[in-house]
Amino acid sequence: MLLAIVAAGTWYVLSNRAGRNGETLAIYYAKQNGTTLGAIRISMRPRQPGESAAEHLHNTVLYAAVQAVAGPPNDVLAIRFPRGTRVLNVGVEGSTATVDLSKEVELQGGGSFGENGEFKALVYTITGIRGIDALQVLVDGARLETLPGGHLELDQPLHRSDW
Amino acid sequence: MINRFIAPTGSLVSGIVLAMLALAVAAPARADSSLSAIYQRQTIRFTHLSSTYGARAVGVNDTGFQALLRATGALLTWKPGERYILITTSVPVVVSFALGDRRYDVGPIALDAAFAPFQRGDEAYLPFDEVLRSLDLALRREGNVTVLQPQLAGLDVRQDGNRTILLAHGAAVLHPRILRETDAAITYSFEGVGTALVGTRQINAGGVRSLQISTTGTVRDPTTLVTVALASGAVAEAPREEERDVALTFDAAVPAAPTVAEASPTPEPAPGTAPANGPALVTGVTMQPANGGVAVTIAVTGDATYEWHRLRDPDNRFWVDVKNAQLQGPPIEQNAPGPLVSMRVRQDDAATVRIALSLQGPKAIAVTPSAGGLGIVVGAQDVADAPRSGSGGIGNVVSAGQENTAPVTPAPLDQSGAAPENPSDTTWKFGPRSNYAPTNPRLIVLDPGHGGSDRGTIHGGVAEADLTLDMAKRLRAILIARGWEVKLTHETDVDVYAPNDSAHDELQTRVDIANNAGARLFVSIHANAFINAGPYGTTVYISKPDDVALGRAIESHLASDGTKDDGLIKAHYYVTFHTRMPAVLIETAFLSNPSDYALLTSSAWRQKVAEEIADGIGQYTREYPVSNQPAQ
Repeated sequence: MLLAIVAAGTWYVLSNRAGRNGETLAIYYAKQNGTTLGAIRISMRPRQPGESAAEHLHNTVLYAAVQAVAGPPNDVLAIRFPRGTRVLNVGVEGSTATVDLSKEVELQGGGSFGENGEFKALVYTITGIRGIDALQVLVDGARLETLPGGHLELDQPLHRSDW
Repeated sequence: MINRFIAPTGSLVSGIVLAMLALAVAAPARADSSLSAIYQRQTIRFTHLSSTYGARAVGVNDTGFQALLRATGALLTWKPGERYILITTSVPVVVSFALGDRRYDVGPIALDAAFAPFQRGDEAYLPFDEVLRSLDLALRREGNVTVLQPQLAGLDVRQDGNRTILLAHGAAVLHPRILRETDAAITYSFEGVGTALVGTRQINAGGVRSLQISTTGTVRDPTTLVTVALASGAVAEAPREEERDVALTFDAAVPAAPTVAEASPTPEPAPGTAPANGPALVTGVTMQPANGGVAVTIAVTGDATYEWHRLRDPDNRFWVDVKNAQLQGPPIEQNAPGPLVSMRVRQDDAATVRIALSLQGPKAIAVTPSAGGLGIVVGAQDVADAPRSGSGGIGNVVSAGQENTAPVTPAPLDQSGAAPENPSDTTWKFGPRSNYAPTNPRLIVLDPGHGGSDRGTIHGGVAEADLTLDMAKRLRAILIARGWEVKLTHETDVDVYAPNDSAHDELQTRVDIANNAGARLFVSIHANAFINAGPYGTTVYISKPDDVALGRAIESHLASDGTKDDGLIKAHYYVTFHTRMPAVLIETAFLSNPSDYALLTSSAWRQKVAEEIADGIGQYTREYPVSNQPAQ
């Protein structure tokens, strides 16, 4: 019994030390000139027991999208999504990810400056995930042609090559 | 600020203990409980608490927990069926939990919780103490009362030349007041927050000598005192509240005399190298073919630093400034063999010599400093998203590691060191140019942005729609005087499709006007805005291959419009993407910026912008004449 306990304890420690980090994600943000991208790096937790490859990809997109919408800490000068914008849902179909944003994203304050930087950073972040090359944006579950008063065409998947 | 939350990771002992627990207990013993706690003088009652392995778990559906998230400005992302439970704090930093995994992440830092989050029914339960710490809250007791005490969690020091900015962040909206103020020190009182940052920090820069942080008050009504010891003559600005944060700004009395290295973002000379004494001389700049490309050699005698920049394709300009240098001889301006277009050398200011190259495309460039100058090799091949700036030293300020290296190699777009995951996807891709032939080659369609029920952005009582219509009419008059036919998508302040129509209907109608008329060009005029007053400048947006040359021509004329030139930017904008002819969308300036606002509300400036756009159109049409249309 004692041996079993020691073996289990050793296994626990080793298994928690090995492979602690999964893949590294680059979370992009637009700098205050509106177009240049900076990035912070975060590590994804490794794929968990019982987590399929598809679910792991879904979780990776979710994690990256929430990180990108949050943006870097406030002491980093960056173009930011309007306060309160949140990720409602994500999905993956083929190589296209879908990110559903809350209605707060529409509070852009006018002009193209904010939306261009925000979505460029989001697209770069999501398409940096292995296996994803396009991002379809939804707002409150719906596919929009553009944000109200906006310029960026959102009714089709966005690619890095759109910038 | 986060490190103090790091708990010891699993040791062998704790592993054995947990293993024993796991073997002894088939399922976690859970006992439901509730808790009332004071947060900023309001009582929050948690009812979805569960004791697990001696620690508390809180359910995400707990109304008290949800109220706490709202009060601290945090957002929760989770729904049943999801493994990940994510909390975005007001910092912002994303705190990541996952069902069944003790690991949780606070931004880039991975930690271990007391237990793994679990799901019961349609509710996820999270380690309560870890969540509170992530929200910068401290669980305290005062008598028999439990208090969730907001913490002043961060006091980041940002240096900006002779200025020091202290950025304070906490688990509550901060409203500091000045408690005491002398020439030597200022004490700020942050009421309602405690802190674990107690102590003294030496700064010795930007007018600030040191910070002393202490706490006073009670557990329920804490106060954090921040005393800033000032350098002689330093000036403090009034605290500036930035949403939930506060910036305390201090200016040193006398700006330090800048050295060459300090005055530029170039690295300082390597330790042990001699400082530059007197200006260096740029004695010559020569070009010669090199492996299908061109090698530009800049001969420099003496010590100097350099800083180079390149613009993004399609604006393929490159320049290098040699600083602390004088140009020996007259300025140079000459055409250059491919892959260059031209080269220009001049004394840019009293201490800077600028060498500017115009490239045929996004060519590979290698910049190599040496003791005798600088070598620039422009290759024949295009590169995707090459780096756009760099710096270094020439002469004695070249460190051993720099010499004979080629610091410029194709690199990711990101300038902060992060590489894109799919480098092949980072190319600014343009397909081939279209074969569009205007059926009305003398017609230019102008699109005043917004109008009617859509006012665009509004600042200070000024609506974007009014400005764009005004600028479009000014531009129309100029173009007509220069022999063009001009059509506006709307002559008066109306919706083009219908009042309160959809964006698609409105924008497509504008596109249709130009497409159906077979126009030569399409120019959409806008004013920009942002949610804060910081950004300013003029940007020209394009979407299609056919837009590039037009955009480049107009941008080059608008570059001197009096505000910052933010360049030519590719974006998937509706009107530029769907028009068949060369098209641009011009964001003339920011209504949300005070300086730009002053420009936009000046009729003289709007006239100047109209003339510069017309000049850009004129340049483009001269350079790219339509076969059945005489150049203007």
